[in-house]
Amino acid sequence: MTLKRILEDVDLLEPMAPSAHRVLQIAGDPKSAVTDLVEVIQYDQAITANLLRICNSAGVGLCREIHSVKQAAAYLGMEKVACLVMLGHSSANLRKAQEGYDLLEGELWRHSVASALISQDLAEKRVPKMVPLLFTAALLKDIGKVVLSRYVKDLFQEIIAEVREGRLSFVEAEKKILGIDHAELGGRIVERWRFNETLADLIRNHHTPDKASPQDVSLPIVYLGDCICMMLGIGLGSDGLAYRYYAQAADRLHFTEADWQRSMIGLREKLATVEALVGLAKEERIHGV
Amino acid sequence: MDMIVGVGDMKVSDKADTVLATYSLGSCLGVCLYDPSVRVGGLLHYMLPESSIDEAKARQMPFMFGDTGIPLLFKETYRLGAAKSRLRVIVVGGAEILDQKGFFNIGKRNYMVLRKLFWKNNVMIDFEDVGGNVNRTLKLEVATGAAWLKTSGDGLRRIA
Repeated sequence: MTLKRILEDVDLLEPMAPSAHRVLQIAGDPKSAVTDLVEVIQYDQAITANLLRICNSAGVGLCREIHSVKQAAAYLGMEKVACLVMLGHSSANLRKAQEGYDLLEGELWRHSVASALISQDLAEKRVPKMVPLLFTAALLKDIGKVVLSRYVKDLFQEIIAEVREGRLSFVEAEKKILGIDHAELGGRIVERWRFNETLADLIRNHHTPDKASPQDVSLPIVYLGDCICMMLGIGLGSDGLAYRYYAQAADRLHFTEADWQRSMIGLREKLATVEALVGLAKEERIHGV
Repeated sequence: MDMIVGVGDMKVSDKADTVLATYSLGSCLGVCLYDPSVRVGGLLHYMLPESSIDEAKARQMPFMFGDTGIPLLFKETYRLGAAKSRLRVIVVGGAEILDQKGFFNIGKRNYMVLRKLFWKNNVMIDFEDVGGNVNRTLKLEVATGAAWLKTSGDGLRRIA
């Protein structure tokens, strides 16, 4: 019964603009050109306005003002523009307070933006063509929490008892008590938004990187981005760090202890960018549509 | 007035209306000092154990690291009149992801570097809440030395 209600609540989310899928598709297609991306974005006034607002914010830190999508693409490149479009699309749902997870307004959004920026960094060095996809996966990975929050709030004591006494991870406890966890629900949400299966799987498995196929580095990238954010305490809620660690994810990326520490330093340095982007959503009310 | 200590930062105060606070310590460690005689408090939030990973960064941002941040925290409280013999010491944070154990367990290493420095310099800890899989928020009221700890999943509780 609860599961049925939870799945029905997915419709209460702010819808994702249809052009968002197209942007992600074009950015991930090696045959596509910048002009294809510009074409999709420039005829959508809301997306264009959001993109230009983000491009001209302190978070992006360009030295000159950007007046058009074409100019943004020329300065930032196709991958980065696609990431910024997805950023503009995602804040409407993610910036809200999530009481069940003890997250004030902006905190889930802060965690999402920070995770996306680390995943972007990790992807740029390893799989540059996948940057927009992995940035988006990291950004939307906790979208399930937005729907699940009110159910977690009602049954929090039971969930946390499973974590503390049953030694379950928070997702395992959510699944046991509510019948679904926020990662699985997130996968279903992006499927309902008609994003591709790859994105849905990355979100669905972002706490279980052992499900990655051999040689796949994309899921480990999203997973490690999340871990680094958790360790730095960025946008953490009542679930804390109660998620399982899979050493093979770091091994897959040949991620050493020094890499780990440098990534934490790198994220600390990006906190001003994160705050500028989080503040932008709060003050300017970036809307996805 | 709340004085927020961010990640890799430190603040000291002798102002009676100040509350020193640091939010959401994950694997980072929060170290809080208070001298009740002169009503001086200090709070450090460091993220990594040793500065040798990036010495240039440590010169620029010494509070990012335990080995450079902890000595500076003590020095800054002494500068405001605190004395080592009177200092009350609170240490919280150093959490880990479930099953992380030996794998890049920064939380544990953050705590180890502190223990080593404290042992060498004969500093005793009055209260500590370290490790586990929770994030923590710490507040210190400079006027009274009262301190509060919030752990994820629980409410705020008085610890000093």
